[in-house]
Order: sequence, then C-alpha cells, then structure tokens
Amino acid sequence: MTDWLGMAADPRAPPPELKARVLARALAGPRRRWWLAAAAVLVLAVGGAYWSYRTVTTLRAERDRLAGVVASLRDSLALVNSASAKVVWIPVTTGGRVGGVTIFADSLRHRWLVRCDGLTRNAPDQAYQIWFVTEEGMKSAALMAMDHERPMVMALDMPPNGGKVMGAAMTIEPRAGSTEPHGPFVFHRSL
Amino acid sequence: MTQPKRLSQEEERSLVRRLKARDERALSQLYDLLAPWVLGLACRILQDEDEAEEVVGDVFAQVWRRVDQHDALRGPLVPWILSIARNRALDLLRRRRRWWRKADRWEHAHAAEARDPEPAAAPHEAAVPGWPLHRQVHAALAALPAEQRQLVLLAYFEGLTHSEIARRTGQPLGTVKTRLRLAHQKLTEALRHLKDWLE
Repeated sequence: MTDWLGMAADPRAPPPELKARVLARALAGPRRRWWLAAAAVLVLAVGGAYWSYRTVTTLRAERDRLAGVVASLRDSLALVNSASAKVVWIPVTTGGRVGGVTIFADSLRHRWLVRCDGLTRNAPDQAYQIWFVTEEGMKSAALMAMDHERPMVMALDMPPNGGKVMGAAMTIEPRAGSTEPHGPFVFHRSL
Repeated sequence: MTQPKRLSQEEERSLVRRLKARDERALSQLYDLLAPWVLGLACRILQDEDEAEEVVGDVFAQVWRRVDQHDALRGPLVPWILSIARNRALDLLRRRRRWWRKADRWEHAHAAEARDPEPAAAPHEAAVPGWPLHRQVHAALAALPAEQRQLVLLAYFEGLTHSEIARRTGQPLGTVKTRLRLAHQKLTEALRHLKDWLE
C-alpha cells in the first residue's frame, strides 16, 4: 500500500510545453534504440562472420601445415626403420668446426634421408650442394643454403637413370647451384 | 467548474491495452491524467522544478518502453508509475547529495520540510484527476501518530534507509523499525480499499 503514498504529494501543473517534449522523447526513444540495436546486431554479425572466416582460414592453413609435417615425419620414420636402409655417418669439418652428415640410404625404395649437423653457415653467395656419385658421374641431389647453424634433414629421391649410385659428396657452390661440382669438397664418400 | 476526471477499472484496463498496442494517443491521455502527480511527487522529493520535469520525461519514456512489464494482477497502473517516478527522483536526489557543492542549497530548501517549493504553482483541485485519492492518502498519513508519520515521510520522500533515519532523528534503530512497521500496517489498512484508479 505504500505504493500509493506518491499520491500524498501535492500535484503540480506541468508547463504547457512539457507535454510535447515528454511525448516526443518517449516516442523517439524506442525507435532510436531499435536502430541502435539493429546497427549493433549488424556490426556483430559482420564482425563475427569475418572473425569466423579468419579463424577457419588460419586453422585450415595450420592443419595443412601440420599434416605436411606429419607426412614428412612418417616418411622419414619409414626410411629410418626400413630393413633395406644402410646408415652411413660421415664426419665433416667446415670453417674449422667439426660436424657430421648421416645418410640413411634405402636401395629398395631408391630414397635417401640425409641429416646434416654442425655445418657452419654459408657465405651469402654460397650454398652446400649434395651429389650422388654414380657410374656415369656426379648428379646433383640437393642444394641447401645454410643461413642458420642448425641441423637440417631432407629426403632425396635417387636418380631414376644415370647408373648405380656408388657414393655421395658435398661441395660448396654458388648460391644458385652448379650442374657439376666446382667448389671445395666438404666430403666425398663411397657407400 | 471543471469536474475531476475519473477512470474506472475497465477504463484503466482499456488504457493499458492501448498502451501495450503502441497507441500514441493512449500515452497522451495517460500524460494528461498523471503528469501533475508525477511532477508533484518529483518536486516534493527533489525540490527542483527543472529536475522534476526531467523525471517526468524519464517516467513516461520508461512507461512507454516497458508497459508490457506491468502486471495488472500485481497492482494497478498508478502505483506502478508512481514507484517509477519515486525511484527515478531518488536516484537523482542521491546523485545530487554526492555533489557536495549542492548539498547546502538542498538542505536549505528542505528546511521548509513538508511545505511545497512553490505553492502558487499547484493547480486547482477540480482540474486535476485523482484529487479524491490524494485526499484519502493525505488523511491516512495524517491519521498516523506524528512520530510515525515523520519516519514514513523520511523513508518515502527522501529514500533514507532505517539506519539513516535513526541517525537523522537520533532515535534507536529498533524504535525506527518498530514505528515504520506499525505505520505500514496502519497505512495498508487505511488504503486497502484503493483498487480503482482515481476513484
């Protein structure tokens, strides 16, 4: 019942112009808020869609990258575990630093897995180039520019023709690579 | 002489229905019926004409926006609107109290106690709908013992808590609570018959 107490206050005559002001404000308020709400919903929808698109795109790219990493690791693991793989470790010295190159050579699958450790980084215009030593001469296997001193792993397909692979070699060549070895040999090894 | 406007329960229900149907003429009619009371209540609480008019604008905007939330089963329309007006006015009052530079002016204005700020502005009773109800509420308040009436006015028109009333009047908190409870019981009994709007 205390809700009725408001009627205890004496009434006051509102100024004549107040009614138009009050009604205009009351009637305009919800419409303005409706437009504001609609604008807010639109902004949220567009923002949400863009955020979703960006997130999905990023996640897809990450998924593809990880799938590639997994496939590469599986390939490497299969090569390492292969019964027909032959493992050769070759000590190397580059720039006065001692390192090593490990070759998993799978003659059955005709693939090599090469891991390089402890190689010094190349000069800016140079790169390491790996060669297959075949019956018909030296065939380029891979070109690797070492700009950071960290281990490098790569899988190589043996040349389909050119005769039997008898060994491996690594030279230092111009950054674009060479068709035949010119630079100093890092190693040259028969398998 | 103009007769006071009166509205039956059926007319009130019709008015609420039209408000809920977004009939702008119903809002205009509601303003004509209630604006003097909302403005009077806000002026009584705030002692400031400009702020009271601002409250009137807030109240009718809120009523128009939220009339769907009014549940007729829980009470008539007028007390619902008056409670919105009171809450809004008390919000402004509390905000103003925090503004210390205005505090002194407010205290000075309020020293006049129950006296209205500008009595000359009060409309003639015949021109205001709901005047009989005003009389009945006044009579119910006047019938309270002075010490209870003082506490009711402090609680309702100044929005003070029990503790604040106890500090303001220098009475023990338990006494304040007891007197307010008794006053509430008496007012409930005295105003129980107020079911029609403005009858």
